[in-house]
Amino acid sequence: MTHRQRAWPPKTGGTRKMAIGRSAIPFGSDDASRFLPWMLAFMVYLAALAVAGLFILADVTDKFDRGIENTLTIQIPVSDSTLSDDRKVAAVLARLRRTLGIERAEALSRSQVAGLLKPWLGATAASGQLPLPRVIDVTVDRGKGFRVETVRGALEPIVPGIVIDDHGAWLGDFLAAVRGAEMIAIAVVFLICLITVIMVIFTTRTGLGLHRETIEIMHFVGARDSYVARQFALRFSLMGFKGALIGLAIAVPTLLLLSVIAKNSGIGLIPDFELTTAAWVSIASTVPASSLIAMMTARATVIKSLTQMV
Amino acid sequence: MSVVVSFENVGLRYGLGPEVLRDISLNLEAGSFHFLIGASGAGKSSLLRLMYLAQRPSRGLISLFGRDISTLPRRELPALRRRIGVVFQNFRLLPQLSAFDNVALPLRVVGVKQSEIHRHVEELLSWVGLRDHLDAKPATLSGGQQQRVAIARAIISRPKILFADEPTGNVDNQIAARILHLFDELNKLGTTIVIATHNEALIRKSGRPVLHLEDGVIRSAADDADAGASADDSPAARLATENGRHT
Repeated sequence: MTHRQRAWPPKTGGTRKMAIGRSAIPFGSDDASRFLPWMLAFMVYLAALAVAGLFILADVTDKFDRGIENTLTIQIPVSDSTLSDDRKVAAVLARLRRTLGIERAEALSRSQVAGLLKPWLGATAASGQLPLPRVIDVTVDRGKGFRVETVRGALEPIVPGIVIDDHGAWLGDFLAAVRGAEMIAIAVVFLICLITVIMVIFTTRTGLGLHRETIEIMHFVGARDSYVARQFALRFSLMGFKGALIGLAIAVPTLLLLSVIAKNSGIGLIPDFELTTAAWVSIASTVPASSLIAMMTARATVIKSLTQMV
Repeated sequence: MSVVVSFENVGLRYGLGPEVLRDISLNLEAGSFHFLIGASGAGKSSLLRLMYLAQRPSRGLISLFGRDISTLPRRELPALRRRIGVVFQNFRLLPQLSAFDNVALPLRVVGVKQSEIHRHVEELLSWVGLRDHLDAKPATLSGGQQQRVAIARAIISRPKILFADEPTGNVDNQIAARILHLFDELNKLGTTIVIATHNEALIRKSGRPVLHLEDGVIRSAADDADAGASADDSPAARLATENGRHT
C-alpha cells in the first residue's frame, strides 16, 4: 500500500482551482440557465435605452433651466408699414428700459426672427415674402419687483394687441413635466433591476432543484454552502455578463440610429440626441451591473435555499 | 479507545410514517471495523444515513467525534463530513465529471493544490486498477469500475470513519478481496469502518464484529446466540455470536 508512505491526505489551504469548465454542477444541461442570458440581454437593452433617455432629459432640463427661465419675448404684431414697426419697437424699448425689474431689452433683427421660424417655415421665412412680426428679447430680474402685468399695462397703450410671452410661467410647467419623465426613466431602470433580480432568483431556484443530487454529494464530501454558492455565483455572473453584452450590442446601434433620425428630422422641437461621454459610460456600465446583480442574487438565493437542506 | 460514533435510544421515522429505526443504542470505538447486516428493509441504509449525517434522527441522541449532532449548527456540518467517507450503494458518481474529477471532488472542496490533487488522485485510481480510465465518464465505466471510483472518492481525503453500503455488490471476488484489503489497510491506519453488506463470504473471511439489524432494531449478540442455538444457523448470526459485543 503505497499511500502509507506518502503524505496522505494532502495538506489543505492551497489555491482554489475550480475551473469554470470543470464545475461539479452541470449547468450547461439545464434549459433555465440557457435562456437566462437572452432574458438579461433584453433587460439590459431596455435599461440602456432608459439610461440614455435619462441623460437626454437631464440635458434638456439643464438647457432650459439655464437659458430662458428669466426671459420674456415681446411680439409686436405686423403692421402695413415697416417704418411704423420700427417706431413701435423703439417706443417699446424706451418704455421697457424705464420699467422696474427689466435688466436688458434688445430687438431681434428681421433675419434673426426668420432664423427662429426656419424650423417651422423653412427657407420661405427668410425670403422676405412673408410678413414677420418684430420680436424683442427681454431679460428680467424677478427679485427686483418685476411683474408681467405691470409691463403689459405699460406697453398696451403704446402698441395695442402687443403679445408678451413670459417664459418663466410656462417653463415651470414644462420643467415639471420633464422632471416627471426623468423620474419615470429612473423608475424604469429600478424596475428592470428588480425584474432581473426576480428572474435570477427563479432561475437559481430551478437550478438548485435540478442539481439537487449533485449538491447533496458535494455536501457529503464536505463542501460548505459558500462553496456551492460560489459555483452558482460564478456561473450566473458569466451569464449576466454575456447577456448584457448582447443587450448592449443591440442598444448601441439603436441609440445611434435614433441620433441620426433626430438630427435629420429638421424639427427644432426634438432635443439633440447627442449622448455625452458620461452617458455612454453609464450605458456601458449596465454590463458589469448586470453581471454583479446576477452574481449577488444567485449567491444570496443559494445560501438562503441551502439552509433548508440537511 | 475513544468512541467516535454513539447512538442513544435513536429513532427515525420519515414524515408521519412508522419508525424505521427504533431504540438504537450503540458505540463504535475509534479504529474499529464492523459489518452491518440485516434483511432488505431492515433499516441498514437508514442507519448509515444517520451515521453519515444525511439525516437527523426523529428522537434520541447521536454524537460523532464527541459532538452531539442534533444540536450541531449547520455551518459546522462540513467540518464533520470531511472526516467521514461514504461509499453509496448506487455509487452516486457525478455523471458529468470524469473518474478523476469525481475522486478529486473532496480535495477540491477543501482547496487542495492542483498539483497535490493530481498526484494523489492518480495514485489512488492506479491502486484501484483504474489508471487507464482517469478521463472516463461514469456512464462509460462498468458497475465494478464505478464502484471502485466511488470507493476512491470516499477514501481520497483519508477519512476518520468510512461508511460503505454494499461496497462489493458489483464486483467479482478478486476485486472484492482487493477492496476488503484496502479497507483493512485503512483500518490499520486508524480509520473506523462500517460496511453494510449481504456478502456472507466477505464477513466470514474478515472475521470482524457484526451489527445485526432486524426490523429497525439492533439485535444483541445474545439474541443471535439464542437464535443460533434454536434454529437460525445463518452465517450472519454465527458471526454475531462469535464476535460477541459490537462495541
